[in-house]
Amino acid sequence: MARFSVHFKTILTLSWRNLWRNRRRTAIMLGAISVGVWAMIFMTALMRGMVDDMLNQGIRNLPGHVQIQHPEFLDDPNVVNSIDEAQGDLLAALKDDGTRVWANRIRVPAVIASERESRGVNLVGIEPLSEAEITGLPGQIAAGRFLESNDDKGLVIGAKLAERLETRLGKRVVVMSQDPDNNIAERGFRVVGIYRAELAAQEEFNVYAARATLQKLLKIEGRVSQIVLVDDDYRDVEALYQRVAEAAPEGVEVKPWYEIDTYLAVMFNMMDGFVLVWVVIIFLALSFGLVNTLVMAVFERIREIGLIQALGMRPGLIVYQILLESLLLLLIGLFIGNLLALITIKPLEDGLDVSIVAEGMAMMGAGSVIYPNLSLYDVMLANVVVILLGILTSILPAWRASQLDPVRALNTH
Amino acid sequence: MLAMATRLSITMLKLCCLLLLSGASSTLPASETSAPDPRDLIRAAMEHWRGVTSYSEMTMVIHRSDWERSFSMQAWTEGDKLSLVRVTEPKRDAGNGTLVKDQNMWTFSPKINRVLKVPSSMMNQSWMGSDFSNKDISKSTDIIDQYDHRLLKTETVEDHVRYTIESIPHEEAAVVWGKEVVVIRDDFVMLRQEFWDQDDVLVKEMESTELREMDGRIIAARMRMQKLENPGEWTEMTVDAIDFDIELGSNVFTLSNLRNPRQ
Repeated sequence: MARFSVHFKTILTLSWRNLWRNRRRTAIMLGAISVGVWAMIFMTALMRGMVDDMLNQGIRNLPGHVQIQHPEFLDDPNVVNSIDEAQGDLLAALKDDGTRVWANRIRVPAVIASERESRGVNLVGIEPLSEAEITGLPGQIAAGRFLESNDDKGLVIGAKLAERLETRLGKRVVVMSQDPDNNIAERGFRVVGIYRAELAAQEEFNVYAARATLQKLLKIEGRVSQIVLVDDDYRDVEALYQRVAEAAPEGVEVKPWYEIDTYLAVMFNMMDGFVLVWVVIIFLALSFGLVNTLVMAVFERIREIGLIQALGMRPGLIVYQILLESLLLLLIGLFIGNLLALITIKPLEDGLDVSIVAEGMAMMGAGSVIYPNLSLYDVMLANVVVILLGILTSILPAWRASQLDPVRALNTH
Repeated sequence: MLAMATRLSITMLKLCCLLLLSGASSTLPASETSAPDPRDLIRAAMEHWRGVTSYSEMTMVIHRSDWERSFSMQAWTEGDKLSLVRVTEPKRDAGNGTLVKDQNMWTFSPKINRVLKVPSSMMNQSWMGSDFSNKDISKSTDIIDQYDHRLLKTETVEDHVRYTIESIPHEEAAVVWGKEVVVIRDDFVMLRQEFWDQDDVLVKEMESTELREMDGRIIAARMRMQKLENPGEWTEMTVDAIDFDIELGSNVFTLSNLRNPRQ
């Protein structure tokens, strides 16, 4: 052991000094590693932020982390495919402490008409108080007020829709849909609020009325389209899902968000793999520089290596020395890279405004502000990958150096 | 094609109602001296044609700045709940039919040989840009109960008393208009119907441009619907022939009759 520590000290000194024999080359390599690591961490944080935003928005639009509905409702959001409001066992399970919040919801296709225009919309009957916690409604109310109770008589529409209908706050519009018997259900509503959404398509599509008011209009008293539940974290909804699925009555379907929107689920699952691929790709580019640096370092020192071998240094220690040299290089590079990433991400945590490309982002389902999400996991991943693969790629030049024949090496000019 | 037929039928229904309304009676329920209650005036007028049957042949002309189209059709009505309309001309649209029962509506198109129920989403669409809109037309009797009525003006023109009634829809009525203004003559010819938006801007109006005596009654034989935002564009209905109080078989207002004409 004592021998090892003596060796280690000597080797460390040798490695450290060797590292700085060609300052310019080492500095360039350090720069490459730093920028590479910075790119790994910074870009990953941006991607994470973007995907998190998409997931959150996607889940908010579903809405909810777990939904209870008629088995055919998702394929055919018809008023016929409704279920009973939460009651009995289900109600008891919902009131259990674990569930943060839940709400009954009605969702039917409808037509909204003003004096001059009419448009197809998604008519949503909500319980305003619980809804606030599930979908973040009212969001941004541009004018008027949001719905205030379950039997509020008003209607809240998007700013874009109001513009299309040539109507505005305080005016009456007519909402038409169908009751379960296929008869026309229609009613005049006064627009009591105008909301703004991040995506214009939502503003134009979603129209909100109170749950009880819609039940009366659609002649489905006591029934709703969905019951939606929200847990603390969308990443971990399994417990809630199981509990509710057990309590749900016959003939209804309970689904977690990742089964309802498989696109979101795939995005969520792919993210970790994507980060790894991204990190490895950057590393591959780096590794060429790293190997080249080491090969050059060995090539320049062939006589010297021959000499210390002739003096009695074992080949293993030569490998050791070169690997240590590579490790030192990597560690310094990682340190600078991490620092760089931290410095650039911190000021952006309040959001990176990319509204120049807002349209494209909206198409992807993301907002026009990216909030970088620096996760410890990603930073660790980048560092571990760089060190492990870095050492791995250094093995070849180190091993070749150790295999030099001392006699020949000494005679190389 | 279906949308066209739908719209056509609604239009027809309304017009039939109006025709019947206008020809139904020549006596007023209220006395001549005191002003009649406007709600009663409209109700009485409606009730006169309710339960009455009719068969008519009409022509509808849609006029636009760069084109004009004309249709001939036949229509059967019974009360305010039942009506059947069938296009006879032009040839390529002939056979398209629509049946209205209460608030439900079915269309039949010979080209696809199918009877379709018209969903609520189509009730609000405009037929080929025709100036007749659906809503207020298909449910003519709604105006009695879903509006508050006020007699604005009583005047005597050419030996007839004209009542101008302002009807304001109830808060929850399925009506987009801010108000409607109706001019009814004392022999129940509806001379004018105006549709105002909620900012008190006149959006469209229907005017009876020709009154004629047909089958023993004075009716509005020619009516024109016009949106005020597009002057020079209008839709005109002309009654070519009409028979009131005819015997209609029980099979007239059925889906099978819609598909296979038997009259």
